[in-house]
Amino acid sequence: MSTTTAAKTPAGGSAFDKMSKVLVTVGKAVGGVVGILYQAGRDTIDTVIRNILPFMAFISVLVGIINKTGLGDHLAHWISPLASSLPGLLVISIFCSIPILSPVLGPGAVIAQVIGVLLGTRIAAGDIAPQYSLPALFAIDPQVGCDFIPVGLALGEAEPHTVEIGVPAVLISRMITGPVSVVIAYFASFGLYTSSN
Amino acid sequence: MPFTELAAAIPMATTAPTVNPPTGFFGALADAATWFIGLFQAGGDFFLALVTGIIPLLVVLLTAINALIRLIGPERIDKVGEAAGRPGIQWYPVRYLVLPVLSVFFLTNPMAYTMGRFLPEKYKPAFYDSAVSFVHPITGIFPHANAGELFVYLGIAGGITQLGLNTSDLAVRYLLVGLVVILLRGILTELITAAMLTRRDNAAAQAQQAEEATA
Repeated sequence: MSTTTAAKTPAGGSAFDKMSKVLVTVGKAVGGVVGILYQAGRDTIDTVIRNILPFMAFISVLVGIINKTGLGDHLAHWISPLASSLPGLLVISIFCSIPILSPVLGPGAVIAQVIGVLLGTRIAAGDIAPQYSLPALFAIDPQVGCDFIPVGLALGEAEPHTVEIGVPAVLISRMITGPVSVVIAYFASFGLYTSSN
Repeated sequence: MPFTELAAAIPMATTAPTVNPPTGFFGALADAATWFIGLFQAGGDFFLALVTGIIPLLVVLLTAINALIRLIGPERIDKVGEAAGRPGIQWYPVRYLVLPVLSVFFLTNPMAYTMGRFLPEKYKPAFYDSAVSFVHPITGIFPHANAGELFVYLGIAGGITQLGLNTSDLAVRYLLVGLVVILLRGILTELITAAMLTRRDNAAAQAQQAEEATA
């Protein structure tokens, strides 16, 4: 009896130790995951409040004024023909990629975002065919990051002479790749929303 | 009598228009106020549609992806960065496709460009061009990468939604065409950078020769 209990007690103790170890590991793992999820949620709400909601407010004011004053209809007269044909989209993309204009059009992608919303309302109104949405996305965007080249290169720890060469190299490259991206997107848009029309 | 009636009617006739302009004026003022508030009412309706239509999905999606990124750990892309710096044509897709996509996905705009530190100087402008060109195509499916500039995609996609069409096809094609475009931009910018570097080196060499000749 005594031997069996003596044998059992340490065995039960080690089982208890194992059990508590498992519990601690599980607790730590769950705590870690919950912590990560909680932090992810905190980051998300932060992004929404700092970046997304302010831009939504800004866009809403613009869209309200543009739609109500009839400015939207005037804009439609010159945007729709440009955005509803391949040559027109090429004109937009070349305009956006002109090396002097592109850094000016770049900051915060504000211009691209406003034009995006304008084109969106024209697509909704039926002035622009929906399959042109894909090439249009590339047509309004050849200036992406053109305002940010020195900072972006500095983030990549580039030396000053690399920045000196890099700024014009990227700007010149955009003149070619901007319109080319529109053409690629145009061909990639075949079959997009055409079956539903 | 008819004359006095007529005479009485004249001031009546003249006062009637003079009375009307005040109501007309206030009426116009009221109309103007209604129109003015209407501008912002239209904006407010648009804002409400955006907030209720986009934010709930966005919050859940962003949280899930942010958690995933934290679980995987952004430091693991460093290895890809080291591989991408090697010379040779087989490393082009790694340098201008895999590395920019992973950087933008895990580090997001603007921290993605720090990955350029693993590359030799001559590839840095091309890598930047490639990475920065991906910050909008990625937002169609993974909005966390560049939440501040969502409307480049959402603006146009909003029109598609209002037509009652599904935007998923557009988002996928935007991403795929984006991949082709960033590879192309990377390669072309690398060529232009190389050409400009050799031209500047030649110019420097010539200047040095001229200096030696004069000395």
